Amino acid sequence: MIETENLTRKFGSLTAVENVTLKVDEGEVFGFLGPNAAGKTTTVRMLCCLISKTSGKARIGDFEVDSEEDCLAIRKMVGLLPENVGLYDSLSAYRNLDFYGRLYEVPIQKRQENIERLLKLLDIWERRDDAVGTFSKGTKQKIAIARALIHDPKVLFLDEPTANLDPEAAKTVRDFILELKKEKRTIFMNTHNLDEAGRICDRIGILKTRLIAVDSPENLERSTSNRKTIVHLESLSDAVLAAVKKLSVVKNVRTSENKLILDMDNLKKDNPELVRAIVKAGGNVQFVTELRSSLEDVYLKLIREAGAQ
Amino acid sequence: MRFWKSWIVATKDLSMFKKNKYILYSLIALPFLMGLLLPAITIFSLQAEASSLTEAQLIETATVLIDLFTTYFVIIAAVLPTIIASYSFVGEKLEKSLEPLLATPTTDGELLFGKSLAAFIPCVGATYIGALIFVITIDAWSTINLGVFLLPNLYWAIVMGVVTPLACVLSVEANVIISSRVNDIRAAQQLGAFVILPIILVMVFASTVQTFPLVTLALILSGGLALADIAMFYLSKATFQREEILTKWK
Repeated sequence: MIETENLTRKFGSLTAVENVTLKVDEGEVFGFLGPNAAGKTTTVRMLCCLISKTSGKARIGDFEVDSEEDCLAIRKMVGLLPENVGLYDSLSAYRNLDFYGRLYEVPIQKRQENIERLLKLLDIWERRDDAVGTFSKGTKQKIAIARALIHDPKVLFLDEPTANLDPEAAKTVRDFILELKKEKRTIFMNTHNLDEAGRICDRIGILKTRLIAVDSPENLERSTSNRKTIVHLESLSDAVLAAVKKLSVVKNVRTSENKLILDMDNLKKDNPELVRAIVKAGGNVQFVTELRSSLEDVYLKLIREAGAQ
Repeated sequence: MRFWKSWIVATKDLSMFKKNKYILYSLIALPFLMGLLLPAITIFSLQAEASSLTEAQLIETATVLIDLFTTYFVIIAAVLPTIIASYSFVGEKLEKSLEPLLATPTTDGELLFGKSLAAFIPCVGATYIGALIFVITIDAWSTINLGVFLLPNLYWAIVMGVVTPLACVLSVEANVIISSRVNDIRAAQQLGAFVILPIILVMVFASTVQTFPLVTLALILSGGLALADIAMFYLSKATFQREEILTKWK
């Protein structure tokens, strides 16, 4: 649904986005992570045909991000929630949505149905005639999401959808995105919130001008060398420790109370051998667990590595 | 260019202006006051001279004053967009609503035309209301005292029909350009007033130093304003581009 090939954007001598190549499938929720000024918003703006690319290719559905004609078609099929909600404070929630529905060429009947459905879904229907300026930040964010959905877009771009929201409002917005995920919409989401990305996104791209990594949250968490095996023992004896240290697959071993914390190359393959050795040395194994890197660990490691290059 | 798209943008802006009391009162006050004040000055001046002038001389003096004051409505039409156009463009910047607006399947030209229309319609409308009050008051006085309708005359018709809308368009376009460089409505209004100063000076100079017959002068002004409008149109179009707005507008 979304495809880019060496997508690049320069502002004078500054390269904001460099050679980004990625593919987002239909119905996929793709999270774009990166520090401030990593080029996330610039990428979204290029994909929404708001700014031009310097080089490379980008395609949304059957349309190239290039000609004015294709860009109009792209803008018709995508919905955008920008970083700033940008609603008209003096107009009512209904009027705001109606205005955008008209610009997106939604027929009147369908427009009225969509506004009612979205506002009811977001629990704002009773306040539809109130000026947007009277709403809380979270409610404004919900209206802005409804605005992005007013024309039933196939692709939804969300730029920091829960930024600056209190935890309750952020949860409401997150739950709504999960509802949209069930509707099988393609969602491209810029976020700083790693926990949110891990919970919502099917795949995550980490960007720092260049695309550093793209994978599912689970695979990203497994990708770093920080995975360890933890063996909980009834009691830790010298014999067990010596047996473990003798194993060639064990690269490093630490102890903590009755636990062994081990570094190995291939946990799945090496764990059975490890357990056998411990049992043979007289150890009573209570649990064997895996210590994984969190998405935050992976993100920080990758960003640091990218910064060092 | 799909004009219906521009109309959607224009009607949204107009409904926002209706809710803004500052804009509403500013739009009404100036033309309304001028519509009453200018005939009042005319009538008092003529009545002061009435005893020393023949009826023909009185009509001639009245016509000179009326023609001079007619020109003032061009100035009003050029001043009003400094209030409203700054809200239309800088207001969008302040509410940060340009990005979602630019993300819709609407061309830059359609958006620019819609927003310009939203500034143009109320300004010209308000000017015409002021001019109508002016005509009614003058004619009411002249029919009672002189037995003739002094307005509308050819000069008035050209000024109202051609010069006023052209001056208004020029002011709207100038305000689009100014709005791209400032982030404050008051600053936009002050700069806007500065930009329309040449129009005011030309109008005042042309109407007081009568080197041409007035109708010829009105036609020359129309031509000059039309050329300036075209030049300003290309300048404002170059300013109002998606890319420029998102990456360079302050």
